[in-house]
Amino acid sequence: MSPRKAALRHPLSLSVTHILLALADGALHGYAIKQAVEERSAGEIRLGPGTLYEAIQRLEDAGYIEEESARDQPRDGQEAQRRYYRLTPDGWSVLRTEIRHLARVVDHARAHARLRRAGLT
Amino acid sequence: MIRVWRLLLFAYRADFRRRHGAEILAAIAAERALPRYRGAAGSIRHAFHTAIDIIVSAVRQRLAPRREKFFRSRPMDTVRQDVRYALRQLARRPGFAAIAILSLALGIGGNTAVFGIVDSFVLHPFAFPDASRLLIVGRSFPKLSAGTDFIEVLSPAEYEDIRQARSFARTAAFDLGNRNISGGDVPDRVFTAFLIDDPFPVIGLAPFLGRGFTADELKPNGPPAAIISHRIWVSRFHADRTLVGKTIRVNGNAATLVGVMPPALLLVGTDLWLPWGATADRVPRNMRNFSVIARLARGESLASAEAELAAIAGRIAGDHAAQFPEYTGWRLVPQPFAHAVLQDARPAGLLVLGAVALVLFIACANLASLMLARASGRQRELAVRVALGAGRGRLAQQLVTEIAVLAAAGGAAGLALASVAIRASNALVPAQFTSFGLAASVNARIAGWCLLSTVAAVFLVGILPALQSGRTEPNDSLKQDARSTGGGRSARRLRQGLIVGEVALAVVLALGAGLLLRSFLNLQRVDSGLDAGSVVTMRLTLPQEKYRGGDAINAFFEELARRVEELPRIERAGLASQFPPQAFIRFRVIVDGAPPPAGPTLPAAYVTVASRGYIPAIGMRLRAGRLFDERDSPTAPHVAIVNDAFVSRYLGGRAALGTRIRVGNDPQKAAPAEIVGVVANTVNAGASSAPMPEVFVPMEHGRDAWNQLFLIARTNGDPAAAVAAIRQAVAAIDPDQPIYAVQTLSQAFETDIVTQRVSAALVTIFAAVALTLAAIGIYGVTAYSVRTRTQEIGIRMAMGAERRVVVWMVLRQVFALVAAGLALGTGAVLALGPFAGSLLFGVTPIDPVTLASTSALLGAVALAAAWWPAWIASRVDPVVALRYE
Repeated sequence: MSPRKAALRHPLSLSVTHILLALADGALHGYAIKQAVEERSAGEIRLGPGTLYEAIQRLEDAGYIEEESARDQPRDGQEAQRRYYRLTPDGWSVLRTEIRHLARVVDHARAHARLRRAGLT
Repeated sequence: MIRVWRLLLFAYRADFRRRHGAEILAAIAAERALPRYRGAAGSIRHAFHTAIDIIVSAVRQRLAPRREKFFRSRPMDTVRQDVRYALRQLARRPGFAAIAILSLALGIGGNTAVFGIVDSFVLHPFAFPDASRLLIVGRSFPKLSAGTDFIEVLSPAEYEDIRQARSFARTAAFDLGNRNISGGDVPDRVFTAFLIDDPFPVIGLAPFLGRGFTADELKPNGPPAAIISHRIWVSRFHADRTLVGKTIRVNGNAATLVGVMPPALLLVGTDLWLPWGATADRVPRNMRNFSVIARLARGESLASAEAELAAIAGRIAGDHAAQFPEYTGWRLVPQPFAHAVLQDARPAGLLVLGAVALVLFIACANLASLMLARASGRQRELAVRVALGAGRGRLAQQLVTEIAVLAAAGGAAGLALASVAIRASNALVPAQFTSFGLAASVNARIAGWCLLSTVAAVFLVGILPALQSGRTEPNDSLKQDARSTGGGRSARRLRQGLIVGEVALAVVLALGAGLLLRSFLNLQRVDSGLDAGSVVTMRLTLPQEKYRGGDAINAFFEELARRVEELPRIERAGLASQFPPQAFIRFRVIVDGAPPPAGPTLPAAYVTVASRGYIPAIGMRLRAGRLFDERDSPTAPHVAIVNDAFVSRYLGGRAALGTRIRVGNDPQKAAPAEIVGVVANTVNAGASSAPMPEVFVPMEHGRDAWNQLFLIARTNGDPAAAVAAIRQAVAAIDPDQPIYAVQTLSQAFETDIVTQRVSAALVTIFAAVALTLAAIGIYGVTAYSVRTRTQEIGIRMAMGAERRVVVWMVLRQVFALVAAGLALGTGAVLALGPFAGSLLFGVTPIDPVTLASTSALLGAVALAAAWWPAWIASRVDPVVALRYE
């Protein structure tokens, strides 16, 4: 594993995790990803258009997601052809690792007596 | 707005932009529609969020390949970190932060304010959707040289022909008049438009309440209906929403109020719309009273409409020229609505916008120079960080963040400044604009411009320091000792270059302001040819239903002139169809016995219908012959009075008195009139134009009656009291007849040169701001250079240099920079001068007085700015300076 990949792999930023998670249901186009992330995070994570596509490009560069072959052609009144993205095997594995890691964090937190007393878990 | 975003996308790398650009724009548009961005505040929030989002992600993306630990920190983390760091840095130097924010606030605020004003009155004067596709159709006689410069009217029959044009999606036509309206407390006399067809779809606005006219209501004898303006609805009917559908009384007759116009809409100032309620065949073809508005159909252009109208005009000429000779060679001219209704203030607007952009440049140059000074002061800090492994991009990002923080503060302050200035600017606006419902206010376009200026400022300020910081060589910088932190030679050159540029831009503005001011003063000094003294003017339009035919109209006006002249406060009074400085009615002229004209343009002159009292009332000087008097009864032979310009242009040395001339659309057929008098020229075409040939004909001989005339009254002191007395005199003849457009002759002259006055005033303000900013810049650079040279100065003084010499040493440097800037700026003005030609009057761009005074002013400003640091330098105590180490 290259050092760059190692650095990329762990831990992922929250918004990136959400993007990968959204794609776990199947291929989505950019704006649908944004909507899914907003919905799942209960509006806590809002991805602006620029941020969204910049993240998509990065994930694509890192080989975690890939573009599906063109699905729909631009129709009347639709300016651009929408690209659909899906997880690559690499993406699946990084998402699995991340979820496992997050689950461990949450487990630890739940087991923590003082946090429990403070009503944080 | 989407254009702004498309422009901002250039912040991204090209490949990224090509791949995702369209989708990003689509996503921005989708976001905009979300409920959380609803309303005016929402649109500003959306613009703000989107701009931040694009800038932040673009910065991150540009730095991406160099950033090793990509996913380790949350994307916003480094930005947040940088913002915190920037705030700490700025808090440590509050003076620097204050100057920087103030310069940016002035630059961005001034820019936004002027853009707002220019946008409201020049670029988007009417808040109609797609306003550039709304046209007014007028007519012109191309051989009469001048084009259309006011709303020219057409007859209903001509409108019916125009309505067939396929270039237009919708058309409407309106005649103007006055009506009593009641339903509120007191009957009110309001300016009324009588409509053929519903104007709402043409203008592209929906009614504020209710609806437009139905086809039924527009027919003759249709159900009576009325639409009122928003302002009348508020002032007269107390904004009563239940009013729609109810009956109001118009001239005593019941009419259903079917709609209220939106607040932004005042069709040429009308407050009441009524269906015309007649058909075109009831009116002769040459009774031209209707203004025609039209909206271009999809896919059509002004040019295609023009071509189609030319064909229609040709057809009309073919069918009717035998009966109406004026149709021979006539043209129908479509013009953008704003252009036709307002004077074209575009050149002045763009000039002012350009001037204020220079102010922003200067503010940015100032800040860039300050940043450079600081950056070189921080050379060692940066070098240490590079040595510890910070990427160059990371350092540049840090620097840009710092500037962005400053610019954000400056931009916010600027927007606040601009909104105050824009509101205040409405006081400067002449009544002719406000009567169309125009007013400057802050809107999303203006907020967008502010944002754009801010982004531009970040770029302009950031580019040099960022490049400079990228050049940091840890080895060199760390080896240098603390003494020489004055920055390298290149950094100093850069700062000096910025000062030269700043001074040059300030010179451009100062020279420009000087030239505009002198033009304005020259315009004010133009001899009007009149004695404007205490003359009041007002307009009367007689309703055609009431005053049928020339006799009734002439009887009214003659009676009015007689009664007004008898009033104790009035010295003389007269009526005229137009008066200086804004004559607009011109006809063709034939001089009997003169050879036929050779040139492509036929002789034409302003033709003014005037009562006996007009020429003495307005104070025109009689050169030869006589004025109109009782000899010129309706049955007497026709006579005319001409002005000097007419004599010199068309009579070529012949004796004027006794010569016969013919005026009219078709002068061949007009009755000849004998010239009985010659008057001196007046500024009949405005102060900035040469006097035009003008012919006066007696009201009694006007072949077509003029139902709309101006009353000109010379008062013996108090115009306001005189106007009240005149109102009573009018009411005594016809209690329903209103007077309007009341102004003194001096006010009319002021309005005539208002564009020059406003642009001179604004550019002068900018020049003052620019000089202040340049002074701040000069002070900053001089003070900085003195500080870094303290040791050198100390040594010089220890060696016996006198204070005088030290002061001179510092000042000499400043003067060299200022002289270079002055030369550069003067050159630019000379090069740009020809483009300002139409705004200059009586001065050339190479005006020695302006040039000399600007140079003197600049020298004084530079001296004032550099004096304090130079004085400080001369107070340096050699002992202290040498101990500095």
